[in-house]
Amino acid sequence: MANSSSESPPSTHVAEGPPGEPRRNFLTSLLAMITGGIVGLVPAIAGGLFFLDPILRKRAGGAGGLLRAADLSELPSDGTPLRVVLRSDITDAWTLYRNRVIGSVYLRLMPNGQILAFNDTCTHLGCKVDYQAADKQFFCPCHQSAFDLDGKPKNETPPRMLDDLVAEVKDGVVFVEYKNYRTGTPEKVAVQ
Amino acid sequence: MKDLLEWLDHRTGYKLLVHEALNEPIPGGARWRYITGSMLTFAFVVQVITGFFLWTAYSPSTQTAWESVYYIQHEMAYGWLVRGIHHFAAQAMMVLLGLHFLQVIWDGAYRAPREVNFWLGLVLMQIVIALSLTGYLLPWDQKGYYATKVATNIAGASPVIGPQIQQIAQGGAAYGHHTLTRFFALHAGLLPALMVVFLALHVYVFRRHGITVPPHAEGKPADTFWPKQVLFDAVGCLVVLGIVLYFALTRPAELTAPADPGEDFPARPEWYFLFLFRFLEFKEISRFGVAFGAIYIPTLLMGIVFLMPFIGRKKWGHYFNRGFLLAILTGITILTVMTLHEDNHNQSHQAKLRFAERDAHRVVVLAKREGIPQNGARELLVNDPFTQGPRLFARNCSSCHRFDGHDATGQLILKTVDKDGVKTKVPELETAADLKDFGSREWITRVLTDYETTFKPLENAGEKGKAIQTGEMSNWCKENQKVLTDPANAESLKALVEFLTAQGGRNDLGAFDEKLVAQGREIFKGGALKSGALSSSCADCHAMTVAKGTETESLSDGAGAGYPKLTGYGGREWLKAFLRAPGHADFYGEKNTMMEFTEKRMSEREIDLLVDWMTGNYIPNPSH
Repeated sequence: MANSSSESPPSTHVAEGPPGEPRRNFLTSLLAMITGGIVGLVPAIAGGLFFLDPILRKRAGGAGGLLRAADLSELPSDGTPLRVVLRSDITDAWTLYRNRVIGSVYLRLMPNGQILAFNDTCTHLGCKVDYQAADKQFFCPCHQSAFDLDGKPKNETPPRMLDDLVAEVKDGVVFVEYKNYRTGTPEKVAVQ
Repeated sequence: MKDLLEWLDHRTGYKLLVHEALNEPIPGGARWRYITGSMLTFAFVVQVITGFFLWTAYSPSTQTAWESVYYIQHEMAYGWLVRGIHHFAAQAMMVLLGLHFLQVIWDGAYRAPREVNFWLGLVLMQIVIALSLTGYLLPWDQKGYYATKVATNIAGASPVIGPQIQQIAQGGAAYGHHTLTRFFALHAGLLPALMVVFLALHVYVFRRHGITVPPHAEGKPADTFWPKQVLFDAVGCLVVLGIVLYFALTRPAELTAPADPGEDFPARPEWYFLFLFRFLEFKEISRFGVAFGAIYIPTLLMGIVFLMPFIGRKKWGHYFNRGFLLAILTGITILTVMTLHEDNHNQSHQAKLRFAERDAHRVVVLAKREGIPQNGARELLVNDPFTQGPRLFARNCSSCHRFDGHDATGQLILKTVDKDGVKTKVPELETAADLKDFGSREWITRVLTDYETTFKPLENAGEKGKAIQTGEMSNWCKENQKVLTDPANAESLKALVEFLTAQGGRNDLGAFDEKLVAQGREIFKGGALKSGALSSSCADCHAMTVAKGTETESLSDGAGAGYPKLTGYGGREWLKAFLRAPGHADFYGEKNTMMEFTEKRMSEREIDLLVDWMTGNYIPNPSH
């Protein structure tokens, strides 16, 4: 009869292994630990590396270069900021989106014809700032950051001024080079 | 450190737990034959680990499932490895399940007092099968889609509540987003949770009754689980890992083309279910309906397995159980080998597999190059001439033409003949030319030097066909064959061919030699060869206008209707115009025998796809 076990559960206090072979037991234990470690670690390491994909792999860049923002004629001539959305083809993981909104910026037409462009992301913690016409300021509803029309901080909350962007006018059309920057730091560091 | 562990032990009592786990006594000593359970558990753990990581990148919807799996497999760091391990460990689990089951029955470990644990094992077996079935669909590729459809249709054939079960499983009347979300929730949520619960019960009950010691080991000194049996188990797991890694490193986990309800697929279940597939093919089984072969008989067999602990109480019963198991395993093996053998010798099936593989490669080429559109990767194939061309050819052209001897998708055109009461399939006679290399240098060389053979199939197309095959062009060819194939005129022939080929403006035939083209043009016009001359020049019959800078220049007006105009010959526009109206005066005129592919027969989009494919106007496949 192959069945040798008892009907009752085994005792919890069993004697330690067969006595008299401590060295062999040690070697067996060591081998068991190493082998067990390998079999457990291999799938975990493979999975871990896969999980680190965002930092291990260089992705094809998102939207780059100058993007069409607005017709010059749309901008108020008195320097009042105008918020416009920017569109571009972007790849999100596997999907290629055509002409998708990737963000919004404020544009100002200055008296000398120059264009000021600001990323409308608050440099504090990344909410969107609103233009408040009454106070002639950019205001962030999250933590009350305030910036003047030139983008300079009006209180202590933001660590730096609004991020200005490169803007150009070609044939009556305003183009902006859209970039996002790290928030919460005094330095302006592009996120890519 | 020691104090800390003491403290932890005082609060949790972990030392007793570890002690109990590791010092489980093994009467008769540690043995290799006890390792199958641990190997199976290990394979499950590997699936949990790799499955979790795949989960971090998988997106279950009909427009993102294939796409996210493609991204895992072809773009993400080590994605191919993690998916490969998951894919092959799943198959290892089925093999180990079989081994473990065999061992339990053979050693009589299912008998009293271990009946309950045996049944728990049977539950675990069903969970593993369900995991495998649900996982197969998740990539939403053609193979998983069609194979799983068969499975859900079988469920739908269950008595009384079949249709309801099917709808619940599918999340609706048809496959869609909810089929994926449901299968995914089962595959990554409920089933693994059930697995853990039942595995814990299985191990608990196993520990209660201990190991089943084979007779020859009885009386030998006992071991404890740690360390020797643990080492044996760990080595077993290492072997499993080694085999899984070997497969994962040497062949990518398969990903066929994105699921497409409009495209056929030579579906087969995964190899471990092939036996069931073949079993259902038997006429003796299928005549009783799907439920009979796919539900009643398997349920009956599982019922006998369930009763094994009772049958095995007597010695003869144990032998019956062993015999029953061997019979089942033999049946499964025979059916599996039969399917593989039959499939291997089924030309049509093999051609379909190759064609499906062509799609699978193609969609990856397009996804990498073009990016995947918002509506999913299926669209890449739907709008791709290389993918759709052969299908359109098969549907519209292959009743008369062949493409390298087949219908362009790899299928031979056969017809059934009744010979003395025996029905056999024989090749259907083609009635028009094989268009494999239409418009290429080789094609034009053949047309010029051996017209009659090139258009030989026309002799099967009645009087009108024969009239073209043996008509004026054929006669011209016979008159000039000698002079054209004269080695002294090798370059002249090459030049004429180069000139005619260049008219198509195709960019898939390599660069054209401008010097040869210019030479060829003169031969076309005047017929003078390096040694001798053509009996009449091409321009005597065929009209042609060629591009000259931004202008065009008429080389010849030809002899009028019925002599195909060769302006842009073999190119996209020429071919399209020809297909639309081969009987037009610019082509065969009155002599025409070919069907006209008007817009009613072929839409603008279809004809563009077909013509673009035939003239190589598509994104090229990278050459390896």
